[in-house]
Amino acid sequence: MAGSDEDSLTLAVAAGLEAVHHGEVDPTTIGGLYWGTARPPMAEGPTLPMLAAALGLTPGIAGLLASGSTHAGIDALTAAWHAISAGAIDTALVIASDALSPALGSSGEASTGSGAAAWVLTGDRGNARLLRSVTTGRPVLDRYRGDGEPATRDDYDGRLHREQWFVPDVAAIAARLRDMAGDTASGTAASTAAATAAGRPAGDLRWALPDPDRRLGRAAVEAAQADPDAVVSTTAVTEIGDTGAAAPFIGIIDALGVAGPAAIVAHGGGRTTGLLLEVDEAVPGTDLATALAASAPAGYGTVLRARQRLVPDSETVPMGIPPGSAMLARETDELLRLLGARCSECDAVSTPPSVHPTCAACGSPKLTTTTLPRTGTVHTFVINHTMPAPFEAPLPIIVVDLDDGSRTQVQGASDGSDIAIGAPVRLVLRRYATERGVPIYGYKAVVTGQEG
Amino acid sequence: MSWDKVAVVGAGIIPFGELFDVGYEQMARSAFEACLASVDHGVDTSTIDALFVATQRGTLWGQEGIAGNTVPAAIGLNGVAATRIENACPSGSDAFRVGAMAVASGVHDLVLVVGVEKMRDKSTEEGLLARAASGHPIMTRGESAPALFAPFATRHMHTYGTTREMLAAVAVKNHHNGSLNEDAHFQHAITMQQVIDSPPVCHPLHLLDCCPQTDGAAAVLLAPAERAADYTDRPVLIGGFGVATDSPWMHEKTDYVGLAATTAAAKRAYSMADVTPDDIDVAEVHDCFTITEILDIEDLGFCEKGKGGHMAVEGITALDGRLPVNPSGGLLAKGHPIGATGLAQITELWLQLRSQAGSRQVALRNGIALQHNVGGRGSGVAVVNILRGVT
Repeated sequence: MAGSDEDSLTLAVAAGLEAVHHGEVDPTTIGGLYWGTARPPMAEGPTLPMLAAALGLTPGIAGLLASGSTHAGIDALTAAWHAISAGAIDTALVIASDALSPALGSSGEASTGSGAAAWVLTGDRGNARLLRSVTTGRPVLDRYRGDGEPATRDDYDGRLHREQWFVPDVAAIAARLRDMAGDTASGTAASTAAATAAGRPAGDLRWALPDPDRRLGRAAVEAAQADPDAVVSTTAVTEIGDTGAAAPFIGIIDALGVAGPAAIVAHGGGRTTGLLLEVDEAVPGTDLATALAASAPAGYGTVLRARQRLVPDSETVPMGIPPGSAMLARETDELLRLLGARCSECDAVSTPPSVHPTCAACGSPKLTTTTLPRTGTVHTFVINHTMPAPFEAPLPIIVVDLDDGSRTQVQGASDGSDIAIGAPVRLVLRRYATERGVPIYGYKAVVTGQEG
Repeated sequence: MSWDKVAVVGAGIIPFGELFDVGYEQMARSAFEACLASVDHGVDTSTIDALFVATQRGTLWGQEGIAGNTVPAAIGLNGVAATRIENACPSGSDAFRVGAMAVASGVHDLVLVVGVEKMRDKSTEEGLLARAASGHPIMTRGESAPALFAPFATRHMHTYGTTREMLAAVAVKNHHNGSLNEDAHFQHAITMQQVIDSPPVCHPLHLLDCCPQTDGAAAVLLAPAERAADYTDRPVLIGGFGVATDSPWMHEKTDYVGLAATTAAAKRAYSMADVTPDDIDVAEVHDCFTITEILDIEDLGFCEKGKGGHMAVEGITALDGRLPVNPSGGLLAKGHPIGATGLAQITELWLQLRSQAGSRQVALRNGIALQHNVGGRGSGVAVVNILRGVT
């Protein structure tokens, strides 16, 4: 579960920044942003440029937001792959994220998680290669969310879905992948020799298989005729649950850290897709265990709030968010990009720039835009317990000394019990408020260690 | 040399509280009447030739946003030259300063300054607390009033070892003073343990570290000093004043152990009045929260920076201490109807300097008193007025 101030966009930002960091690419050289999510924070809206801004990508970047089903992550990847293959762009950032909201009382309540993963794709370098893909599809309904509906419904007839579509399609796609890999069984001497002779990868396939409800996964393993020990996606499903569009990418993480061939089977929105990859050497940033270690137990109320199903029932105060206003037009980009204005006279940084036509320290109007660091320490803080709904208390508000010597004020992402003066913090994008269906994003501080 | 060009010749307030049965205009009229009743030799109201109305929040159901328009007729001064003054929490004290300048300039002769504020015509959630959602979409989000002062408490405690008990001592002192003031919102004493055990409002501040939401009004009559004797034999002269500003953004404070606007405003006021902090007999300062009084008395130069927490604990700021602070009960006990607050403080000092404060009368040495407000986002506005009694 993500927090109640997180959604598919904030998760996408977190994963995207990690991928850019581990991929050692300059964000301004990335030619395309391909984002797949079944549940973008707005059904219609400027979510892709918001994501690009928060990631520090160029405003006019190519790419797309794929949505409509949990197959969206694979769709985004395929589109990026094609764009690079066609020579349209050199480098793409592919992000798959989801924070699904299963219907109350549905089986999805217990099996749905939230998560994000991101890949940097290039045409000519990298530690792993995408080799082949294959897709099949049927115009039949499985899990779905009707237009305007808040929550994802279960399959109408789970057994029908499993027997008629899921098992046959996973079996067919897995068979094709094995054929492509030249790995007909699971690592017999004969098949390994054949594969090596044909110039194909040696070694057993590691599998990421679909498990949208924590039960179909077992059927998928049998259908794919995969050795259960070679299915690397089990940990993620057990620990996080189904992460929708992100599931295939999170599921294959453990395979990307070790050289050898890997196969993804992804299922959703009536389609089943297989991907064959070859990992030449460990891909950086593929440490699932560390990502999972940061988790904590949450009660049902917390889960409902995080899924935006538990909302204030009575009067709420206006959050003062005029969507599409001139004010937000001036401010949104600088807030998402975390910009400051550096003074040419005294070097002080004033933030944010649009409210600082002159330097806050010396009054000079000679300012240049700069990107603020996302790490710092707590200078002082409060924990606000007394605010009207829809605010959620306790709410920490923190003055942060950033690592470049500048200062900003942000909310804390915790209940405040971990905050102390001097504590190191990291700034992460979170949702500050939602009004009229418009989410407003800003940075919040997460304590990253003890006071030193 | 002290400025002394303008005299306070009358001052009055209405009993403060949650005044659900009286409206904005009625409170203004009652304060005006209280002020008129205090003028020793009486005054012909037709000779009042200008009115300044201090109201901070123009956001109620009525027409207080255009108070310069609505108040004159409501209080019986239809036709008078009138203007609304808004300058955050110091709105009342700044209207006083502007009124004094209007008299000193010679443009106006007899000037009425009325401060009036309805804090409780809207629910707490819709009123003061809704500030948490106002302002900048991100940078100020969650900043209800205590969140503007609590960061200073956190840092002051960290830097100087100021304790919860030191904060609580301010509330205990001011509630004691309030128990002696029949116009105060709260007229009961409290204990240190009650303050410490009160529920958290905005860490590290708890409920009894915070002033209440109070309806109220106050009015002051100003005249040229040389004509003060027409109205009273015991005028209070305006020795000097200062106003200063600082960044409204909480992340742009020079430090988080003092309020720069207060320090700058005080320096200007002391210079204009030609006095030092040691010359002050009694002070009414802005104690919207307990930490604020501690910051104030340091920033006003009454003690060394970092030592403010000891002043109430050691009784120095008590009624019988070396420097009584907030003899009226302060904002913590008397209440904080924002536009009226500064003028209510001046009314208290008018009583003190004329030795009319009854059971809470303090000892006068030099006959000099200081009034102070600070507020706005980032405590970015402060006003200091210095008053001198004439004996």
